Amino acid sequence: MINVLVVDDAAFMRLAIKNVLEKSGFKVVADAKNGQEGIEKYLEYRPDIVTMDITMPDMTGIEALKKIREADPTAKVVMISAMGQERMVKEAIINGAKSFIVKPYKEEHITQTLLKIASDK
Amino acid sequence: MAVQNSGDSLLEMFIFETLQNTEQLEQIILDTEKEDGFSNNAINEIFRIMHTIKGSAAMMSYPEIASLAHKAEDLFYFIRENKDVKYSCSHVSDLILLCMDYINNEVSGIRENRDPNADESNRLIEELDNYLCKLKGASTDTTNSEKMLAHISYKAIFYFEYGCEMENIRAYSIIRDMREYAYDIVTVPENVLDNDETTNIIRKSGFLVYFTSDKAYSELQSLFMNMPFIRDIDLTLTDVDICLQAENENTTSGRVTVESESEKIKNEETLIKQDNHSSGQSIISINISKLDKLMNLVGEVVISESMVANNPDLKGLELQSFQKEALQLHKIIVEMQDLVMSMRLVPLTTTFQKTHRIVRDMSKKLGKEVNLELSGEDTEVDKSIIEHLSDPLMHLVRNCIDHGLESEEVRIALNKPAIGTITLEAYNSGSNVYILVHDDGRGLNKEKILEKARNNNILTKPESEMTDKEICSLIFLPGFSTNAEVSEFSGRGVGLDVVMQNITSIGGSVSVESTEGMGTTVTMKIPLTVAIIDGMNIKVGAKNFTIPITAIRESFKPENGSIFMDTEGNEMIMVRGECYAIMKLHKQWDIETEVTELSDGILIMVEQEEKRRCIFADCLLGQQQVVVKSMPDYIKRIKKVEGLSGCTLLGDGSISLILDPAWLINSEIKYGKGE
Repeated sequence: MINVLVVDDAAFMRLAIKNVLEKSGFKVVADAKNGQEGIEKYLEYRPDIVTMDITMPDMTGIEALKKIREADPTAKVVMISAMGQERMVKEAIINGAKSFIVKPYKEEHITQTLLKIASDK
Repeated sequence: MAVQNSGDSLLEMFIFETLQNTEQLEQIILDTEKEDGFSNNAINEIFRIMHTIKGSAAMMSYPEIASLAHKAEDLFYFIRENKDVKYSCSHVSDLILLCMDYINNEVSGIRENRDPNADESNRLIEELDNYLCKLKGASTDTTNSEKMLAHISYKAIFYFEYGCEMENIRAYSIIRDMREYAYDIVTVPENVLDNDETTNIIRKSGFLVYFTSDKAYSELQSLFMNMPFIRDIDLTLTDVDICLQAENENTTSGRVTVESESEKIKNEETLIKQDNHSSGQSIISINISKLDKLMNLVGEVVISESMVANNPDLKGLELQSFQKEALQLHKIIVEMQDLVMSMRLVPLTTTFQKTHRIVRDMSKKLGKEVNLELSGEDTEVDKSIIEHLSDPLMHLVRNCIDHGLESEEVRIALNKPAIGTITLEAYNSGSNVYILVHDDGRGLNKEKILEKARNNNILTKPESEMTDKEICSLIFLPGFSTNAEVSEFSGRGVGLDVVMQNITSIGGSVSVESTEGMGTTVTMKIPLTVAIIDGMNIKVGAKNFTIPITAIRESFKPENGSIFMDTEGNEMIMVRGECYAIMKLHKQWDIETEVTELSDGILIMVEQEEKRRCIFADCLLGQQQVVVKSMPDYIKRIKKVEGLSGCTLLGDGSISLILDPAWLINSEIKYGKGE
């Protein structure tokens, strides 16, 4: 069972991702509505993978990514991005995000990406 | 990319290039041995050559060569990265030379469709491995030695899933992840992160990555397939040198296209070619068979030209303008002929250089230090002759070291320089090239030679009548070998007669001079070319013959009274106080002719190796450059005709047979009955 933490400011997105993942046998151990909460939840639950929205109020996904990776360099974070956010995605990748998924996404994009990344090492 | 013998030209190129590389490698190693240790340059160069060989061998699917070159590359990689590691230069040289011999042998084997010798390759790999382990053990720098695990070059094309978006950033993350196990990463397109335009290229053609890694193919394949958003991956083994070029090409044109497999092969082929010619754009390599054909055609042109210009239909006509044009044509043709000839000329340099290796190997094995001096390497000889020259030369040099040069102690005792010297010298003289092999060793012992010749029954005339030179020349006779013990190098059961055979087969001659205690000089006289000779055409009955001008001393009408009979009633002629035997061609060949009396015909004095004889013919037809053609196969199949070295066409279209001067001098004279 792969444990996932979902970080997104939109409740709808959190739910949508959660549905997709749980349908495919992932376990969403927690969710967070901003970067700060994401960091805290990560440290608390130590999930296998984090899905991280990029644009969030207070603390962006990239800031959170950096902090999480700082705390745990092996952390596997997959960014969720909207179209046209190339600059942000680049920054996330440079800062250690494992991969990224572009909204609107296909369900298998999420599941397969997470599966592959989870099995990595 | 596994190209199983696909495209002969590619294979040819591979063979050509690999042989060239090994030759260069040998040169480097021999040079460094003189300097006592590998310079940084030499190490890099050796590394590069091994790398190239490995890459192309893998591409051509010759795993034995590839893995051996790979191992050798490992070794030099290690030496390069660990500057202070102590290694035995001479041992490494030995190893690399062995590998090179193997590769050379294998590559030549490809042409003959020989099966690869995997055992030998494995043995060499093991040997290299052992030595490498020893070095690694000695080296304390573990981080480096881990890094040195040699890398296999790969080429990977990543195809992303449709609609995954921001392919350039995904490509970047691939590279980022790959850095953990891949090195020398080169991508097409490059700078994916900074340039969003690249997204379209990647979408269309995939993301191309060249890299090296110590990971195995299958391991990489599964690693890559496990990357997110990868639809497909095309992973191939390749050679990074070629790829770097490909990359350059592609980026300059600003776009990447994924060619079909055959196109790719073609592309790489041209790339290899470019690689070859990059050193000198003005030089191209031509298949020797094409040159042969050209030479032949020019020969035909020469003949046709003289057939046209001397056409019997034109006889008695006043053709001023025609004659003028014909002369111009003749001029051009002669120029063309010279040019084609010069195209076939190759300097002796490589042939001479090869002796370095022999000298090195032998002096090591026999414990004799030898000083090799070369001069006149730039002397040029026809390509077809060079091929016949290499073996005799090696044979002679081996003989010099093995039999000629004394051991160091003996030399010192004899008040000679402790180190023996072998000199190879080449120079042009007339239409011949002379090649001298000289050693300052013990010289030939004439007593021993005579004794041996007596025992082997190869003496051709009474001992008392033999000159020193003739005695020395006995060593070139078949069945002669003075060294009682067979040594690894010279005594392979074949004597120096092989040298003689080889040289005479190309129309040359061998002579030897020796002063006891001072050394021996073997001189090989070789014609510059065998394709076109200056010949004297003569007539006997209805037949035409051609004698090479170089063999002719003079021709003359015999004076009355100069002819006399020897004790057996055979005709001899006295010219300026010297006596010569007369060979009458019509008797020799049983040709019907009206000219049978010496006074009616003409005598031609031929000379070879200081032996002379007079040839009797009906008349001289004149001197002409003739194109030598070998006897047609159907004649050769029926029987071997003695005394003819080939045939040619004369200006009027008739056939003339070219006489072999050696035969004219040495064959038994047939005297007709009653003469």
